[in-house]
Amino acid sequence: MVLTFIGMHLLAAVLAGPLVRTLGRRGFAVLALVPAGTAAWVATALLGPVRVERTGWVGELGLELSFRLDTLAVVMSLIVSGIGALVLLYCAAYIDPRSTAGSPRLLGGALVGFAGAMLGLVTTDDLLLLYVFWEITTILSYLLVGYLTTSAVSTRAARQALLVTAAGGLTMLVGLVLLGEGAGTYRISELVAGPGASGAAVAWGVGLLLVGAVTKSALVPFHFWLPGAMAAPTPVSAYLHAAAMVKAGVYLVARFAPGYADLPVWQVMVLVLGSATMLLGGFRATRQTDLKLLLAYGTVSQLGMLVLLVGYGSEAAALAGLTLLVGHALFKSSLFLATGAIDHATGTRDIRRLHGVGRAAPWLALAGVLAAMSMAGLPVLIGFVGKEAALAALLEPAPGWLSLQGVAAASFVAGSVLTVAYSLRYVVGAFGPGSPGGGSAPGAGSGAHSWHAPGPLLVGIPLALALGGLALGVTSTALEEVLARHTSTVSLLPGPEVHLGLWHGLSLPLLVSVCVWVLGALWWWRTRDPERATAPLVRVDAGRAYDRLMRGVDRAALESTGFLSRGSLPVLLGTIFVVLLVLPGLQLALGGTTWPSRLRLADSAAQVAVALLVIAAAVLATRARRRLRAVFLVGVTGYGCAMLFLLHGAPDLALTQILVETVSLVVLVLVLRRLSGRFPDDPSVLTRRLRAALGAGVGLVVGLLAVVATSSRIHEPAGAGLPERSVDYGAGKNIVNVILVDIRAWDTMGELSVVLACATGVASLVWLREEALEGVRKGLRSARGARAGWRARPVPTDTGSLPTSRWIAVADRLDPERRSVILEIVTRMVFHTILLWSVYLLLAGHNQPGGGFAAGIVAGLALCLRFLAGRGYELGAALPVMPAAVLGTGLFIAAGSAVIPMLLGSPALRTWDAYLTIPLVGEVHLVTSLLFDLGVYLVVIGLMLDVLRSLGSGLDAQIATERETAGRGTR
Amino acid sequence: MGGSMFVAPEINYVALLPMIIVFVGGLVGVTVEGFASRRTRYAVQVPLSVATLVLALVALILLGQDNQGLTAADTVALDGVALTLQGLVLVLSILGLLAMSERFGGDQPDAFTQSGVSTPGSAEETLATKVGATTTEIYPLTLMSVGGMMLFVAANDLLLLFVALEILSLPLYVLSGLARRRRLLSQEASLKYFLLGSFSSAFYLFGAVLLYGYAGSMRFADIAAAITSGVGMDGLLVPGVLLVAVGLLFKVGAVPFHAWTPDVYQGAPTPVTGFMAACTKVAAFGAMLRVLYVAVEGARLEWQPVIAVVAALSMVVGALLSIVQTDVKRILAYSSIAHAGFILTGVVALDVAGVSSTMFYLATYGFMTIPAFAIVALVRSAGTEATLVDQWAGLGRRSPWIAACFTFLLMALAGIPLTSGFTGKFAVFSAAVSQGWAWLAVIGVLASAVTAYIYFTLVVQMWLGDEAGDTVVVRPSWMTSVAILVGVAMTLALGIMPSPVLDLAQSTAAFLR
Repeated sequence: MVLTFIGMHLLAAVLAGPLVRTLGRRGFAVLALVPAGTAAWVATALLGPVRVERTGWVGELGLELSFRLDTLAVVMSLIVSGIGALVLLYCAAYIDPRSTAGSPRLLGGALVGFAGAMLGLVTTDDLLLLYVFWEITTILSYLLVGYLTTSAVSTRAARQALLVTAAGGLTMLVGLVLLGEGAGTYRISELVAGPGASGAAVAWGVGLLLVGAVTKSALVPFHFWLPGAMAAPTPVSAYLHAAAMVKAGVYLVARFAPGYADLPVWQVMVLVLGSATMLLGGFRATRQTDLKLLLAYGTVSQLGMLVLLVGYGSEAAALAGLTLLVGHALFKSSLFLATGAIDHATGTRDIRRLHGVGRAAPWLALAGVLAAMSMAGLPVLIGFVGKEAALAALLEPAPGWLSLQGVAAASFVAGSVLTVAYSLRYVVGAFGPGSPGGGSAPGAGSGAHSWHAPGPLLVGIPLALALGGLALGVTSTALEEVLARHTSTVSLLPGPEVHLGLWHGLSLPLLVSVCVWVLGALWWWRTRDPERATAPLVRVDAGRAYDRLMRGVDRAALESTGFLSRGSLPVLLGTIFVVLLVLPGLQLALGGTTWPSRLRLADSAAQVAVALLVIAAAVLATRARRRLRAVFLVGVTGYGCAMLFLLHGAPDLALTQILVETVSLVVLVLVLRRLSGRFPDDPSVLTRRLRAALGAGVGLVVGLLAVVATSSRIHEPAGAGLPERSVDYGAGKNIVNVILVDIRAWDTMGELSVVLACATGVASLVWLREEALEGVRKGLRSARGARAGWRARPVPTDTGSLPTSRWIAVADRLDPERRSVILEIVTRMVFHTILLWSVYLLLAGHNQPGGGFAAGIVAGLALCLRFLAGRGYELGAALPVMPAAVLGTGLFIAAGSAVIPMLLGSPALRTWDAYLTIPLVGEVHLVTSLLFDLGVYLVVIGLMLDVLRSLGSGLDAQIATERETAGRGTR
Repeated sequence: MGGSMFVAPEINYVALLPMIIVFVGGLVGVTVEGFASRRTRYAVQVPLSVATLVLALVALILLGQDNQGLTAADTVALDGVALTLQGLVLVLSILGLLAMSERFGGDQPDAFTQSGVSTPGSAEETLATKVGATTTEIYPLTLMSVGGMMLFVAANDLLLLFVALEILSLPLYVLSGLARRRRLLSQEASLKYFLLGSFSSAFYLFGAVLLYGYAGSMRFADIAAAITSGVGMDGLLVPGVLLVAVGLLFKVGAVPFHAWTPDVYQGAPTPVTGFMAACTKVAAFGAMLRVLYVAVEGARLEWQPVIAVVAALSMVVGALLSIVQTDVKRILAYSSIAHAGFILTGVVALDVAGVSSTMFYLATYGFMTIPAFAIVALVRSAGTEATLVDQWAGLGRRSPWIAACFTFLLMALAGIPLTSGFTGKFAVFSAAVSQGWAWLAVIGVLASAVTAYIYFTLVVQMWLGDEAGDTVVVRPSWMTSVAILVGVAMTLALGIMPSPVLDLAQSTAAFLR
């Protein structure tokens, strides 16, 4: 049933928009039916047995929709729904639908939704559901407090309330989880009834839970949000701060008091904060000039008192607390609504400007006076009954007066004095004759807003609420019967037996009460002049501290963002390196790493020399400021590695390494033409040192890891037995080559495809447009012509000039200033030799150092020489085909050599060998994998050609075009 | 070395069918790029890609259940976790793809440049725009990436994991650089992502090699066995695990490997950011779960504290740094960092609840992120995306529905109850608490509070701020609308009735080893 009613609230909240749009503000009256119906239904549960309803929600997470209507829940529900209905009804007369400051539709929806969430909050029996409803009320309170969307004050207050209560809610969630996990149940009833809990986790849990209550109920030090939230429309304030939102914190304390009230952390937080809040709020309230602010600080004070009482832990205090809880809901909502009516009628809430309202609106004044009397604790109202009970419960503190309880009792009395004072201030300020200078007409002194009598609803509802306080005061014995069903469960601390009633004889509480009234009246008399300047009680302002905290968080975030996310690549990379340095580095240093017992540093002096050379080159490379120098020095480290391979007896590896290094160098140099000569950044000395240290550190860690890795070998090396197998299966003595073309031929095949894709990719990035490619084709055709001409015709000489020698094919097309005859001659002389060598490497590679890859690179270097001597034209003449053709042919041959064995019924890439005796050459060992190697050879040549053409002549062309455009630009 | 012949592994092609469908779809897409005319490409690619993903999803649902097991020489593990996450990747990528295809009435996908390789502002670019070039290669690229992600969560072998990592990453690097507007930013993002991604991949490889050296195998099961029996090379184990973790943590954008996230999220085309944020997280966390839970679970005492610290740092840094952001996309980027921390909190738990809560969180995060970025793509000012918070002021009054959706998604990101964000956070935090990581949950809750602050600032701007001059919300086509609506509906559904999905996550949370 509870779920159904909550659902109805939700439905009403959704329908509120259309309803208010069609019916205007009368829609609020329709909306009021939902909480009214709820209140009527809940009332039937008042004296019956406890109703429990459970519906599964998220069983996997232990989330369950369980509700438990015990007396506390029923009383709270009655307050929440009953006052909710009345406030909505009041809105039907109060809200101005033509106002553009806020949306009445949103207000209606949010109010009904809020009532629904509060209903769920006070009836649920599940810790997590409690949190869910808690956060819903937080969010809706944001919408309600920030109702006046055009007002900056309102928006700011709404955000403040939201932040404080949402942060408190999250803290509370942690506490709830700690309590739930500790007790193994998330049912509130089981948790509270469970065996007396103790331990650090429970203490923490309870402490965090109370933080939630403290923020929501605006206790010190979080009290500042509540007066700020007075920016909301008055009915909203009435509901939120008399009946609903702030009562959630009180409810939480009341709910958990039976289980945890004896814990020290509970005692300290509840009693100290409750007392402090009661005094601070009361003191501030006696100094306000705005009726609403007066009530707001009064509310803060009363909340402190309520938390103190319901959390005290004794049955008597709980009874007094619940009585006052009910009383407070009635008189505070009545006072707020009466204030709203005054505001509505006069246009002001300032007691310095109000005068004569009491005469003009006697019924309203009656409501206000009755409610204020209840607040001050005057007979025969419920406030009096509650105060008497509270005094009876507190005045004989069990541990003596020099204890928390004693302090709480003293604060309660002092707070009551202040309450009387500000109650008087309210009554006199709102309904009194006002300052003598005021005019005869009631209302605001300046007369800016003409008086109009408040309608029947605006008067009737506050009056009804105030009369409710009177009725309950008279029938307090019956009230005790109801409340005792809950308060009898609060028995953690001993206390006197207390009963509700108007007359207990001439007892100590009555005596104290009389003193309180007298002292309160005196206090009011001393501070009655509203014009007198008010000095703050304490210098520390929690609201300002909140502002500072928020600014501090902003500042910290700004600083850390500036520090952490610069978006600079070196910093990002540096972070990753630091992690590498720290995590595995620390593991190496501190972990149980088994270091090799003996480390052989070097085999020969030559190795040491090469290593030193490499280190020196590496250090110099990091110091280089010119790109070219850096590239060359990095190259030196590569060549040094090759030397080490050679010294270690791996000529094939060394050869490959040298060739690859050379090609990289050439490519880098070609690309560098497009970049500035020096590195553009100029880091400070400190940065450079840091970077150097980081680099050295990473090198050290990786080096040490390598030492550890190689020395902790326990498996047989993968290469064992490979020499024999390479001869048996691959018919070759060069293991590397056999691995490439036989054992791991599939890998090679894959790599060939990748190389092809990469080359195409690079080329397509440089040759962006179809036209450019067409230009290359045209160039190739003309190059073929030049080639033919070079062979066929003698050197053409221009008349009058020196006869030009044509050492290369396209010499006549080059800019004479940029020619280098020496280079041309050298090229002419060695080109074919190099090519021949590459063919030798290809053929011999199966047994000697070499192979398709090395051979291809050698051939590529020969092409490179031609390119350097005569630019793109010469390259075209040297190999007048498109790179793609060479690449494709190579891959085709490689794939074909893989397929052919399959045609013969063998596995793909199977190798056969045969010996052929060729005249003049001698015996040649032919291996079928040579065909595959030929494919590799061609792909590598194709790649080199592609690189030279794209990065060489392609960039040449781009540079030329740019120069041309720049030239045109200057002209 | 024994002389045993190489034995071809058994491959269960039926079980692999969903992945095969996606890869084949990608290849068909490449072919379409090569042969279809410019005008027809979009009309072909969109249905083709969506159909591929839907078909793969259908295949996964129909065949997955009955074809669980290890296959392809035990390098692929198709167990409950893998299938669930593959399904999630597929569903999310369908939404992401729809958002990417948005044209706003134009001729080509709106978010993408018409010639990716040209220099911004160059003659080539103008020419490409003039001849109406399209960037429909995003479809095969996305499909390839999705295929890589599906393989990533199923890989049971360090080497295959690496291959999958590269397959999923490379297309993303390219996609990041294809934004139509603010192209330099986009290209910078792409380059940064690529460079840093490559470095992380290198670290991953280094770690994988160390683990291989330790266990003598790349298979997760063998590594786990080696750890249990202890092979006496512990010096390699922990550095190996940590370096492998670096590669994976980079992919999810956890602190301190997060620095690329804001730049890349901001620079990449907005729908790509959404796709990347949602799907990459699913894939990377899936892989991380498998590596940590299956392969190196035995060494948990060594890596658990590290992951916990990374989780805490991610939550704190992600939350704190989002406060000062003024750009909506960057706010979402930092939020993704914080969310990586939240998810890691579930990963640290190291029990079945850790797996199921992580998977559930991934689902919730995916369904709120894609629509969030899709909405960002709709808010325009002077023809480009208006991503500054100030430009969003007063959006609630101008386009209440879009603003309401975004508000709801922000609430979900903050973890407010009745959204999926709450149930997801609750699931991971309770998993962590139950395994004794309460302090992580506490940090998580506090970080949530901080992130909630920045989201509410944004919400306040949208609803209560003064209307910004020329910001408009473009009217989306059905594709973006579907992406947004499905995401919002799922976020609501997972917040109110998460049971079916949680059930699924729990019933599939066991790894095959």
